[in-house]
Amino acid sequence: MTVAPEKNTRSSAKAERTARPGRPGRGRGVLVALGYFFIPLTVLVVLWQIATTVAPSPFFPPPVDIAENLVKLLFGGDAVFTEVFYNDFLSTVGRMLAGYAIGAAWGVVVGTAMGLSQGSRETVTPIVEFLRSIPATATLPLFIILLGGGDDMRIIFIAYGVSWFVLINTASGVGSIHRTMLDLGKVFKISPARRLFSIVLPAASPKIFAGLRIASTAALLLAIVSEFILASNGIGFQLIQAQGRFQLLNMWSWMLALAILGLLINFLLDAVENRVLAWHKLSRQKI
Amino acid sequence: MTDSLPTTTGATNTGTTNTGTSNTATAAAARPAGTAPGTPGAAVVVDHVSHTYGRGDTAHHAIHDLNFEVMPKECVSIVGPSGAGKTTLLRTLAGLLQPSEGAVWVNGKKNTGVPDGMAMVFQDYSRSLLPWLSVEKNVAFPIAGSSLSKPERKALVDEALEAVGLKGFEKRYPWQLSGGMQQRVAIARALAYRPKLMLMDEPFASVDAQTREGLEDLVLSIRDRYDMTILFVTHDIDESVYLANRVLVLSRPPATLVEDIRVELAEPRDQITTREDPAFIHLRGHVARLIHSGGDSV
Repeated sequence: MTVAPEKNTRSSAKAERTARPGRPGRGRGVLVALGYFFIPLTVLVVLWQIATTVAPSPFFPPPVDIAENLVKLLFGGDAVFTEVFYNDFLSTVGRMLAGYAIGAAWGVVVGTAMGLSQGSRETVTPIVEFLRSIPATATLPLFIILLGGGDDMRIIFIAYGVSWFVLINTASGVGSIHRTMLDLGKVFKISPARRLFSIVLPAASPKIFAGLRIASTAALLLAIVSEFILASNGIGFQLIQAQGRFQLLNMWSWMLALAILGLLINFLLDAVENRVLAWHKLSRQKI
Repeated sequence: MTDSLPTTTGATNTGTTNTGTSNTATAAAARPAGTAPGTPGAAVVVDHVSHTYGRGDTAHHAIHDLNFEVMPKECVSIVGPSGAGKTTLLRTLAGLLQPSEGAVWVNGKKNTGVPDGMAMVFQDYSRSLLPWLSVEKNVAFPIAGSSLSKPERKALVDEALEAVGLKGFEKRYPWQLSGGMQQRVAIARALAYRPKLMLMDEPFASVDAQTREGLEDLVLSIRDRYDMTILFVTHDIDESVYLANRVLVLSRPPATLVEDIRVELAEPRDQITTREDPAFIHLRGHVARLIHSGGDSV
């Protein structure tokens, strides 16, 4: 079965997706999905490797060198990880996660309030639309003047930029809950807190998750941008350093690190979403 | 029981109309403040209820000066042309909507919000069941926050699911069930709540004809088995007669009460023999004529 022809693997992948969770054969679906993901990527890397070997260029190092250099940057030395790993890689991840968490929480809270009350939605929407039209990156100089060049500034800057995506999606998700579902809570005299946590938020969770997903990409972007100015560590700082010193291999290696980081975040969110929103995916397949 | 009801006297099968306005009005004038108008002990009293949506040119006068009462354990269907304000009336009864004029009294208390001991079955089962909860958790949802112990709650849920014929489907999710079964879950949820008053808002409007018959018979069986008053809104004339002890016919909007008809058909009712019964045929014809005239003859 492992060397099934192309046509069969395609249809069985589809069957896996419609199957209920916990059925045997789920593992093969994952393998097929991984295959779809890695095969085009491998082809691209191989072509790149061939191209850079045939016509070497200092601007475009071979992928194998980029990967090797990244491993050297992050791992090794006396311990498992290098100082750079703790100082730069983990700093960026930490800032990103802290900013993301604060921004997401703020977005869910304000978005829910907006979604629940038409009055507050109508009052706040013009302000929200105006503020979020300013590209978040353009507000960095202001944040630096107001809060200085420390970690707290970076975290708040990330939180600010990230919150819009979550806020807009939450407000729309909560605002579009069907009246019957809200009536249900009132008719059976469910307490307001339970109505919020057991009806409103679960009902809006598919849209909230969509917001969290876009926000995770934005969080990484904003973390890097925030480290371009006034920073003494972080992946963004390392990128600017490498540029200044014309260390192109280091630049490429850090970009590779960011790609892996982005994929990892996406994978984690996918896993959480598959667990939390299984009902949503499956109920939509029924229709 | 029948003779004491001002709104039903003289309206039995005869085609005479009686909105009961004058009777209720005199009762209202005589009663002490804070007590319900109408017959003492009535489960529901609708007292001069009117409702208008919006203001000015776009205002929609949905219901106009409705007066009726429902005694405990009655099963009353409310039928009228589509857009007749049936849903407005039901939302008013449920306390989800405050009427522009008049008041609704449930079990002797004036509705200022949702009354105690009331459950509702919504028309749109796909929206009223929570898709992230299993069948048993959906049924337990309204009583999950109550002071009952866990075994007590489980017993209520099990009994309700058994009553609607869904034993063995506890762990399924609503979207894994057919439309008729989903509406059974919604009915079980209302039953587990042990309501004194059950409101049903066109509950079978979106299921196929055969499923519908099964669900109608389910309503008849729970009507006999549980100690509660049922108010049932429908646009289906046959259904209104088949299920009820009384049929309230509404006019086109602004909806007024065209006639309050007592239904006395042989029990137990049956999808085939009841529908062949000349009394049934006469009643359904009478209701149909009232609805098609839209209340113009009154």
